[in-house]
Amino acid sequence: MITVNGDKAAWSPGMSVQDVLRARNFKFPLLVIKVDGALVQPRDYAATPVPDGAVVEVIHLMSGG
Amino acid sequence: MSHPESSTPIVRCEVDFTQRTEYHHGMEAIKAAHKLLAEATFTPTLPDKGYTNRTLYVNVGTREIMEKPVTQQMKDIFLGGRGFGLWHLWNAVTPATRWNDPANEIIISPGPVSGTTQYAGSGKSLVVTLSPQTDIPIDSNVGGYFGPLLKFSGFDALELQGKADQDVILFIDGQKGVIRIEAAPLEPVDSHVLAEVLTRMYAEDDADRVNISVVSTGAGADHSLIGMLNFSWWDHRRGCVRLKQAGRGGIGTVFRDKRIRALVCRGPVVKGGLNNPADPETIARTGIKFHKEMRANDDSQCKMRRNGTAHIVEIMDAYDLLPTHNFQYGSHPDTHRIASPVWQARCTQETVDGCWYGCSMACAKGADGLVLKTGPYKGHTVTVDGPEYENAAGLGSNSGVFDPDDLLELNFYCDTYGICTITWGTLTAFVMECYQRGILNLERTGGLDLTWGNAAADLEMMHQMARGEGFGLIAGQGIHKMKAIFEARGWGDPKLMADIGMECKGLEYSQYMSKESLAQQGGYALTNKGPQHDEAWLIFMDMVNKQLPTFEDKAEALYYFPLFRTWFGLNGFCKLPWNDVVPSDNASTSEPAKVPEHVQNYVDVFSATTGIRIDKDELIHQSAKVYNFQRIFNIRMGKGTRSFDIPPYRSVGPVTREEYESRAERYDKQMMEEIGVDPAGRTTDEKIAITRDHRMKRYNSLVDAVYLRRGWTPDGVPTLARIQELGLDAFPEVVEIVKNHGG
Amino acid sequence: MRQLRIDLTKCNYGRDCHHECESDCATKVFKVDDPALAALHIRDHGDGKGTAILCDQCGDCVVVCPAEALKRNRLGVVMINKKLCVGCYMCIGFCEKEAFERNPDWIEPYKCTSCGICVKACPHAALEIVEVPEPAPRII
Ligand code: SF4
Ligand code: SF4
Ligand code: SF4
Ligand code: SF4
Repeated sequence: MITVNGDKAAWSPGMSVQDVLRARNFKFPLLVIKVDGALVQPRDYAATPVPDGAVVEVIHLMSGG
Repeated sequence: MSHPESSTPIVRCEVDFTQRTEYHHGMEAIKAAHKLLAEATFTPTLPDKGYTNRTLYVNVGTREIMEKPVTQQMKDIFLGGRGFGLWHLWNAVTPATRWNDPANEIIISPGPVSGTTQYAGSGKSLVVTLSPQTDIPIDSNVGGYFGPLLKFSGFDALELQGKADQDVILFIDGQKGVIRIEAAPLEPVDSHVLAEVLTRMYAEDDADRVNISVVSTGAGADHSLIGMLNFSWWDHRRGCVRLKQAGRGGIGTVFRDKRIRALVCRGPVVKGGLNNPADPETIARTGIKFHKEMRANDDSQCKMRRNGTAHIVEIMDAYDLLPTHNFQYGSHPDTHRIASPVWQARCTQETVDGCWYGCSMACAKGADGLVLKTGPYKGHTVTVDGPEYENAAGLGSNSGVFDPDDLLELNFYCDTYGICTITWGTLTAFVMECYQRGILNLERTGGLDLTWGNAAADLEMMHQMARGEGFGLIAGQGIHKMKAIFEARGWGDPKLMADIGMECKGLEYSQYMSKESLAQQGGYALTNKGPQHDEAWLIFMDMVNKQLPTFEDKAEALYYFPLFRTWFGLNGFCKLPWNDVVPSDNASTSEPAKVPEHVQNYVDVFSATTGIRIDKDELIHQSAKVYNFQRIFNIRMGKGTRSFDIPPYRSVGPVTREEYESRAERYDKQMMEEIGVDPAGRTTDEKIAITRDHRMKRYNSLVDAVYLRRGWTPDGVPTLARIQELGLDAFPEVVEIVKNHGG
Repeated sequence: MRQLRIDLTKCNYGRDCHHECESDCATKVFKVDDPALAALHIRDHGDGKGTAILCDQCGDCVVVCPAEALKRNRLGVVMINKKLCVGCYMCIGFCEKEAFERNPDWIEPYKCTSCGICVKACPHAALEIVEVPEPAPRII
């Protein structure tokens, strides 16, 4: 189990930040992502593991009209 | 700093962007019919630190043309732009004045920073008038060259009052120092023709066309309450005029009620330092820093230079936020047909699309080579501006239209007829739902089959409105008036219409779903002018990020963001470069959602222009003066208190069974977890009622919290203490209004 | 098109030539005394290596200029028309070579004209003007 923006979510071995985004359908380009408080850069989404029990924050900025 | 590797290849549009139907034949005869009604001369001056320190007053009825000084008090309290507009309007009208009284004014003011060519998004004009839809002030922030050229001619604002007895053109020649009111009996009516003809007519030669900007509207504004104004600029590469819209609230309708056909400004040749800023070096450095940020980051972030604001169509769909079928649903399987890759391929990419010089965000995309299939310009080849996100959503998904060419045609006709695309989208969605629910039918619409997605009927309704006939005439009254008309004819349940008619204060909602974001429900309904997202867009912060868990958190956001965003309109800035690109290190700042580096850029560019040193807190204080003044203006006009801040229930929660059932899992879960009621064994109707009761209570608690944070009474009236803090007690009438309403 | 090129194996980064190229460019082409205001910049990294900032006449700035103040002349060189320039500095911000220049005392920016004056000035013959094909305009 992990927490994503306050919601409980399923965890699976080998899970990356990229997988979390895919699972939640988070497609917005302007994101600020933290895993257990540590900032993850966009280029590292695929390579950054999300450990079991992790607290993931996916902060969406704003854009548009 | 080359483009990041993630960048996708650019699809080139195969259309020749220099080809289109031309309209200037016959221009000589049109010009020959002009008759001079009044003329005045003035001494053109350039601004000093962003201000020319005078405004221009023109009464098109009495033909009076007059210069007025800009007082220190005006600058201290109202700053410029929308602030100047509200101040002039306040002085022009009484509580009894309505939109079509000669006393009503249209004020156009660019703001002190407007006309800066180095910092992206610094060329906006702000337009203010009493709205025919809401009977309170409406304000609109619009691109195009008119505002900067007006200022560089010598005026910080233009006030238009009175009503002409015939169609007139107001010409301001900032090169020669002449102002003329001319009778214009033979002018074409619709903007894409009129703006082209007038640009050529008033330019002394080909090179002069870039110095001309035309403000105009179209046939739609003559027969509806939802008319808008098109602000033009000459697009030299395309060889045509481009238009940007002051859309909301019926400003174009007021314009035509005054029988103004067009405003034409011929400004001086634009150069880099015409604002004579206090500190040009800071502006240059800040501007270049932002250009580099655009170059480095846009392609991996929002792709504004490629897609404009339409880049979020598919994103809104992915988050269940794309209004579909009159805000019933938030996504649709056909969204991909109106998503950004379609527009990227359809818009010309090899040109420069800023709505003012120096905008490196350049979102004013153009789809060239559209051959029209309907209406008076059937068969013509035209350039369509946009489509912006609002248009793709409003004219598209919200009305069930998913054909890109249909959408472009709707967009084109809204623009040239001079009606607001957002309003048209939302009102069409409303009539289509009325059609779905039997409130309307073929007989009542006079044969228009307004089923979801019927673009041909949608277009025909628009053409009817432009001709001033049929059901289109009713549609053009807007949702607020339509509800009353339908009720008077006994056509539908008024309660249902109140729930599904997406308007507040008389203005139609813009195109975002607020159902799952309480903060955004307030972001829409607690606005000064009516439900437009330009005060606050909090859906992600609230609904997705869960950054605003308490009422106090939401209230803080509904304090800060509306004030922050008001400030763009006081200065002549565009909102988009604030947060449609962010610096590479934005994520590691303390408040990424505010984009701190950009806020500092604004502070720096303002200070460097005006020589008035401010910081980010003073920026909010500057806005608060105007924001609260506008609230009090609303109260003065008989609105502006709590009962006018109540949203239609469609924006708060599910109105119908289909709506509830389509997202039943979500609503049932909320009932269990948030309301503490077990949904098991309850009928959909019961569950709708329980949800509604809970959500409306929650909304009212939010209103309490927001009013408190804003320094307003529980009825939404700014308190005397707040007024004094802001220096608005300098105006006795303001104090009196506040006192009379318990503030 | 005419393009200025540098051979970094010949250039000695100003160690004994006193940046003659920059000085001559500044004084003779742009009529200013300060070599920092030349249209090319040679930087000594101190480890026997260095870098040069030169305009290669790629034409990216032509594409972004909102005023059509930038055009290629008949030699293919990107030239600025100061009469049309609105001083927006998009050219500076979008030049990937950081080769579009600005003098704080002027509103209009300036750039290399591939005139070859620096070529003559260089005592090490590190600079040359070459004729290369004009690249197709990019979408930026
Ligand atoms: S971002 Fe778009 S709307 Fe804003 S100033 Fe630039 S081109 Fe105009
Ligand atoms: S100044 Fe820069 S962008 Fe322009 S041609 Fe030279 S290298 Fe290219
Ligand atoms: S500063 Fe002048 S030359 Fe450069 S992009 Fe702007 S208008 Fe064009
Ligand atoms: S070619 Fe001419 S303009 Fe270019 S750097 Fe050399 S001297 Fe300066």
